Amino acid sequence: MRSTRKLLAAFIPLLLFFLCHQVSAQSRTIKGTVSDEKSQPIPGASIAIMGSTNGTAADSLGHFTLMVAPSAKTLVVSSVGYTKQEIAIANQTNVNITLLSSSSIGTEVVVVGYGTARKKDLTGAVSTISSKDLNPGPSTNPLQQIAGRAAGVNVIQTGSEPGAAPGVRIRGITSLIGGSDPLVVVDGVQGNLDLFKQVPPNEIESVDVLKDASATAIYGARGAPGVIIVTTKKNKNGRSSVEINSSASVDVIAKKLEVLNATEWWQEAQKWNVPASENHGANTDVFNILTRNGFTQNHSLAFGGGSDKSSYRASVATILQNGIVINSNYKNYIGRIQAVQKAINDRVTFTMNLNGNVSNTLGSPSGVGRAAFTSNLISNAYVARPTDPVYNADGSYFSDPNVFQYINPYAVSQTIKNEGGSNNLFGSLRADVEILKGLTASGFGSWRKTDNYWGYYLPAASTISTAIDNKGIANISNNRADERLLDIGLNYKKTFGNSRFDALVLYEYQTQVYQGNYAQAKGFINDITTYNALQNGDLSKVTPGDVSSYKNDRNLVSYLGRVNYTLRDRYLLTASLRRDGSSVLGVNNKWGNFPSASVAWRLSQEPFMEHQKVFNDLKLRVGYGMTGNQQGLYPQRSTQLVNSSGVTYFGGSQITNFVISQNSNSDLRWETRNQTNIGVDFSILDSRLSGTVDVFKATTKNLLFNYTVPQPPYPYPTILANVGSLLNEGVEVSLNYLAIKSRDITLTLGGNISFLRNRVLELSGSINGLPLNTDYVGWGSNSYLIKGKSIGTFYLLEHKGITETGAETVVDRNKDNVIDQGSQSPDRYFAGSALPKYTYAFTPAISYKNVDLSMVWRGSGGNKIYNDIRSNLSRLENLGKSNVLKSAVGLGLFTTQYGSDLWLENGSFLRFENLSIGYRINTRNNKYIDALRISATGNNIAIITKYTGIDPELSGGYGSGSGDGGIYPRTRNFSLGINVIFK
Amino acid sequence: MKKISLVSIVALMLAQSCTKVNENVYDKYAASDFYSSPTGSDVALAGVYAKIAGNWDGNGYAGADNGWYDLNSMSSDEQVVPHRNTGDWGIDNAQLYTHVWLPTHNTINQAWNWLYRAIFSANLAVEQLTKANAEASKIAEAKVLRAFFYYLLMDDWGSVPFYTENNITIDQLPQKSRADVYSFVVQELVANVDKLSANKGGQYYGRFNKWAGYALLAKVYLNAQVYTGTAKWAECLTACNKVSDGGFTLHPGAANASSPLGYQYFELFGDVCPEDETILAIYTKLDIVGRNILTIRSLQGPHFNALFGSSGWNGTVVHKDYVDRFDNNDIRKKQYLSGQQPGGVNYSTSISSLDNPGANREDGIRDTKFYPVAPINGGGASNDFPIYRYADILLMKAECNVRLNNAATGKPFIDQVRARAGLNPLAANPTLDDIYNERGFELTWEGHRRQDMIRFDKFLLPHDFKAVSGAFRKLFPIPTSALNANKNLVQNPGY
Repeated sequence: MRSTRKLLAAFIPLLLFFLCHQVSAQSRTIKGTVSDEKSQPIPGASIAIMGSTNGTAADSLGHFTLMVAPSAKTLVVSSVGYTKQEIAIANQTNVNITLLSSSSIGTEVVVVGYGTARKKDLTGAVSTISSKDLNPGPSTNPLQQIAGRAAGVNVIQTGSEPGAAPGVRIRGITSLIGGSDPLVVVDGVQGNLDLFKQVPPNEIESVDVLKDASATAIYGARGAPGVIIVTTKKNKNGRSSVEINSSASVDVIAKKLEVLNATEWWQEAQKWNVPASENHGANTDVFNILTRNGFTQNHSLAFGGGSDKSSYRASVATILQNGIVINSNYKNYIGRIQAVQKAINDRVTFTMNLNGNVSNTLGSPSGVGRAAFTSNLISNAYVARPTDPVYNADGSYFSDPNVFQYINPYAVSQTIKNEGGSNNLFGSLRADVEILKGLTASGFGSWRKTDNYWGYYLPAASTISTAIDNKGIANISNNRADERLLDIGLNYKKTFGNSRFDALVLYEYQTQVYQGNYAQAKGFINDITTYNALQNGDLSKVTPGDVSSYKNDRNLVSYLGRVNYTLRDRYLLTASLRRDGSSVLGVNNKWGNFPSASVAWRLSQEPFMEHQKVFNDLKLRVGYGMTGNQQGLYPQRSTQLVNSSGVTYFGGSQITNFVISQNSNSDLRWETRNQTNIGVDFSILDSRLSGTVDVFKATTKNLLFNYTVPQPPYPYPTILANVGSLLNEGVEVSLNYLAIKSRDITLTLGGNISFLRNRVLELSGSINGLPLNTDYVGWGSNSYLIKGKSIGTFYLLEHKGITETGAETVVDRNKDNVIDQGSQSPDRYFAGSALPKYTYAFTPAISYKNVDLSMVWRGSGGNKIYNDIRSNLSRLENLGKSNVLKSAVGLGLFTTQYGSDLWLENGSFLRFENLSIGYRINTRNNKYIDALRISATGNNIAIITKYTGIDPELSGGYGSGSGDGGIYPRTRNFSLGINVIFK
Repeated sequence: MKKISLVSIVALMLAQSCTKVNENVYDKYAASDFYSSPTGSDVALAGVYAKIAGNWDGNGYAGADNGWYDLNSMSSDEQVVPHRNTGDWGIDNAQLYTHVWLPTHNTINQAWNWLYRAIFSANLAVEQLTKANAEASKIAEAKVLRAFFYYLLMDDWGSVPFYTENNITIDQLPQKSRADVYSFVVQELVANVDKLSANKGGQYYGRFNKWAGYALLAKVYLNAQVYTGTAKWAECLTACNKVSDGGFTLHPGAANASSPLGYQYFELFGDVCPEDETILAIYTKLDIVGRNILTIRSLQGPHFNALFGSSGWNGTVVHKDYVDRFDNNDIRKKQYLSGQQPGGVNYSTSISSLDNPGANREDGIRDTKFYPVAPINGGGASNDFPIYRYADILLMKAECNVRLNNAATGKPFIDQVRARAGLNPLAANPTLDDIYNERGFELTWEGHRRQDMIRFDKFLLPHDFKAVSGAFRKLFPIPTSALNANKNLVQNPGY
């Protein structure tokens, strides 16, 4: 943060200078109002004087005041979503301007990567979500704001652990281990999903999601999983503003699992001959002790100002979350500043962004529990016997030595220190130079540094056996990343008669360096210093792995070009080619080419369509592109490397042992994804109903995977190689209907649905010229990667019944009297997949005078979930050492040696995700306040699902795993918010 | 236009300087450079020994769980981890014990994978030491280690994929018959054992010296009839006599209050295996080099806790029938525990069930042969493990003599072992059953039992929870994952 402060200190005088740089001339004042066809004011509409750089913006009621020089003849009035108008002003001092709304696919500008395009010129599949369409209410991560807002973009929030970011998949799982997380681009800075933690949710102007390959190919080797481009708010020219957003919510637990209480447990335990020695006589509701109502606050202050030649916007934001599990919270502080300056006759524009955040997390311990069931702390609350006391008579934490690896969850929550933080900074500078008319050279450099630490202390008092054995374990890890990017490009725009031409060439260099270290000490005489003084541990207890450090890097070099050609505003062509080189690939495959081409035809502009009344707009799009994926591939994976691996005894002493830590693969290469997209954009019924339909088919070839290889001749049991291929195909429909539009009432009905089919086309192939046959690779709980099936296909034994002694029986499908539990066993059957087949959302919004109301209903379906936690908490044989679910009593299952379909459940759900009501208070006569809005929002209000677990939204939905091993509870929140814009 | 050219030049300059995409390695060594250095070749040999110490995930010869040791012990009659009706432990070990394992069995898979990892490192050591012109004894040592691993593979699986050079490809990887692997092992040992150092202890502790090499050769000959159909009793005897040239004696068995379990005998399984009797040992230092879980796995939580401050795992038990065969005066019987114990635990001598519904928490007799030595924690103890010791050699000598119809010559060897255990000499010349039983008393829990049961034709017979088993059970199935990965492999018959 010190460097941020220095930069700010350098910046502030400059900014002050810009602010003082007032425009003064002999002039008169023009006042007026900007409104739409329905006489509704258009706040923020831009009013400029033609031929001058002077201008202003309308206030929240559409009013504006502008000083104009005597020479001024014409005003240019514009606003996003409306057709630009030129108005002659002669000697008027008062003008009222009515802007006509452009259709939804009008002049809107879309960010397409290394540039922008008019929405009507788009040839690829791009979803744009502007700030007004983002999900309202307090968000801790910008992804929550776009959940349900774009077809084919599936945002998945698993549990509500403070600081836990949602996952996102664009058009399905594109890779097995190469990374299916989209590339995130924030104001030109490229990064992973972590970049969202540095974006204040209130400071987003728009989010553009590039979905098909013709749009993402421009990002080449990083584009395969899709691209999310975030544009933050900039200050509007010639206008200063101060804005405060504040909200607070109460978070409650939406659902918990029902386990037996003390009386019920003892009744059941006696039925199954559990000796009385296991009943410790207490009546404890551990879940209740470990939970509370959560509290989340979001506050932000943004201000900006400027003149026609310069502008700035600065903001600070705070997100504070107190989790519903005791001792879990998250704090995130974000500061950003953006400045734009024009120079040299406006031919040079500098844009600088500086963005820093500091976050601190107090984490609920994870990975606790017995070897047989390891989960997060809160899931262990279900496991704890209700008859176990929390404390012994002497005030120490209760523990039962007869139970293997006993844990007392309350002791764990009170004694473990599990906390961390990160300091992240990114800055960028862009310079655009207009060399000739239409020809712009640009340079862009960004630098992102992240610095994370995590401290952990596990004292003996936690009751966890390893802690007792070691008399306390403390460790600290530090991880740093340093990512730099440089772009140098030339852009040429030219209109010849009926043709428009826009070409871009660009060189890009990226370097990413990762470094870190880890240290651990064990054996502490007391717990006072926790992880803050590792030297207080017993250093004679150091074992291999207690000290480590690493460094690796990745370099990417890219050359790219793109051409947009438009003929008669009807025929549109975009073609791009990117050539990427990456250091992480095998020596034989360092470079790859990623071409794309797409065409669009705006039928509605054709003369023969002139007289039809149905379509206000109609566009057909077809695109094809190839993208790559290598970001999920860690550096140093293509060569045979030797790494230290513990200690061995040789020659009479303990010496460091070295092993070959991976197989070499000099052919290691990108995953490539070829995608075809066909789309239609239309607008009918006087542009009241608009929509988009896209059909796509995407094949990931050279699929990266850690393939199991025979150990002769390979020294390591797996090899990272490009062997298989994977298919995703789907249909996406999004519709927006302006149902009512009158002076007082506006009702819009929006929604989208996407159908997605995923199939593993091939898992076998050849590595280093040798055939490799692989299939039925484990992927989650009892689910597999199987050729011809979806990722995470359940291949299961079928539950048959429960014997009198309480043992499970399963169907012997091949009738050989042997239940084979092998992965390819003929006794198993295909029972569905962990991936949803469809996702949908419905987003109605209504406004009446000053009141607005919006909802988000969101769902997905067609998938199955393996309920591991129910399986663990249903076996009555565990009664002696743990609790069970209420449902286990009726089931009567004592033991099972099978992972059968008894635990497989339907994962479909429909969630009432968001309900928000806002009221705009009239501030017309207020001297200080320009606009004031108060709102109330409910999140996760209800869910309709057959799933019996805590929540069906699980990581299996985005391709990692297929089971539910217990999650941090999902919350339901109710918040109040206020938004004030000062004059 | 000047500006354009200026921009282009700058762009080109930057492009020139930033077009390299070579991989930088900062924190590891490239294998090619590493092993060709003189230090690297020594490290390669040390790395082979690193494979022998027992650790998680089935690594190592003995000391940890779910690997070679469990495969060869749990499939015999000397120990089993039952499923408990308290919900603890799976049924995988019971499957081994009752001979109902499938090719997908985790322990079978892990033992197989461990051996091939070990063979790879042995091949690597041979290659690197040869390249570096290392001392002949070191090259011989690497070759003997490799022969050791092939012997273990052949013993458990019969015909196995065979290779001695790591650059071989799958299609050149033939499955060698059990007899061919046997021949290779014998040839390799005969050619190399005499090149090994004759030194004992010190820097040769835990390594194949000449004596350990002959002990291995004797073991291979001892089971030759099982492997090839042709017995090699005389050759075995010769190899045993070579071992005797090393000057080994039996470690004393006398009562001694400061020894584990009160007898010097149990020092053989303590911190450092004593030099007088031990021929080859696995060095163990908990959490640093391997681990020894054999006792903590057996004892119940509060019992182990009362004795050693960590919670026991309540796993391995020994069936009453096995324990009852011991003479009550046999000091070796001290390793077994039943009845009331510290920590309020009371072990019952009966076992109600192995799999479903499972044994009661306190069912079964426990074993403390490897009486834990520090460092100890919940992950085990630091007892070294004897792979070969002189008592085994004496019993092999006795057996060979009996098999060669020289029972009288063999008698003193078995009597020596009995005497150390506090027993009288045999009343008559030893029979094969006497030898078999004595091996069961002396060498139990040391990883020999399955091999012995097969050699004495006892393996297929029913005992306690186990019914009679098919002859094919004398070999383990090649793991499913190995068959999937290498289509050239032929599964053992019966699976």
